[in-house]
Amino acid sequence: MNEELWFAQLADETPLETAIPAPSCLKSLVYSHLISEAETEGPLLPLPETKAAGRGLCVFEHLIEILPVGAPLQNFQYCKICHARVLGERVEQAPIFWPCCPYSEFQNR
Amino acid sequence: MPSPATTQDTDWALAQAVLARDRKAIAEFVMLCSDPLYRYIRSRLQPRLEFVDDLVQDVFLTAWRSLPQYRGQSPLKSWLLGIARHKVEDHYRDRLRDLAVPDDATETIPEPAPGADFALDQARSAAATAAILAALPEPYRVVLLWRYWEQRSAEEMATLTGKTPKAIERLLSRARQEFRQQWLTKPQEATR
Repeated sequence: MNEELWFAQLADETPLETAIPAPSCLKSLVYSHLISEAETEGPLLPLPETKAAGRGLCVFEHLIEILPVGAPLQNFQYCKICHARVLGERVEQAPIFWPCCPYSEFQNR
Repeated sequence: MPSPATTQDTDWALAQAVLARDRKAIAEFVMLCSDPLYRYIRSRLQPRLEFVDDLVQDVFLTAWRSLPQYRGQSPLKSWLLGIARHKVEDHYRDRLRDLAVPDDATETIPEPAPGADFALDQARSAAATAAILAALPEPYRVVLLWRYWEQRSAEEMATLTGKTPKAIERLLSRARQEFRQQWLTKPQEATR
């Protein structure tokens, strides 16, 4: 077999991807960066609208959602001041178990 | 009876929610795409893993900025992998540009036709290929990955790196020779 063809066949038959998942810290950092990017373009979707779209809120977001507060507080990204974000961005297999918390869902458990 | 939603329908809806700046949709987007994206980029940059995280973040940011152009004609994961392919090629281009590749093509390296012992043994080929590629000097690894796994011609690679096609051909020839030697001399070691 011609060497050029041999290498082409080798590449075709040996995808190099492994089963290794993305580190949870990386997922957390990506999420935080995308949220920051989103905030530069305008306010985040209010929590009641997120909930109405069928997406769950974490316990802290749920608390804000039921409080009689105005739009600026409803739109605020509470993850910025949450321990779960700090842990998620720095620790693999971080002990975060809040339901509907993105940083908890990013853990490769 | 309504027809079941396809992946593209679901992905289109997710993309619209991300564009509406729904924080939980953004998390879902990261969950959906980060593993395949990471696996692809890691496989193309191995063993230089120090670049992987930055490239993954760069792909997500580019995808975020390009999301208004997403038409839902392919799954989001595939769309993102398309962006990743371009980023990996940019990385290869930068690496090869920075490396000293001799431009005079007077020296030619003979390439013997592979014999029976060069036959592709599929059982060992994936592990051996990954191990040999990881052990090759960086210019050889990059040029082989770019040529055969990303399927770019030597002419295209030359245009993108600003080198001559002859210089790229010579680098490819040396890379193939080095790969072949390792394949023939230490296949067992490579799969361990």
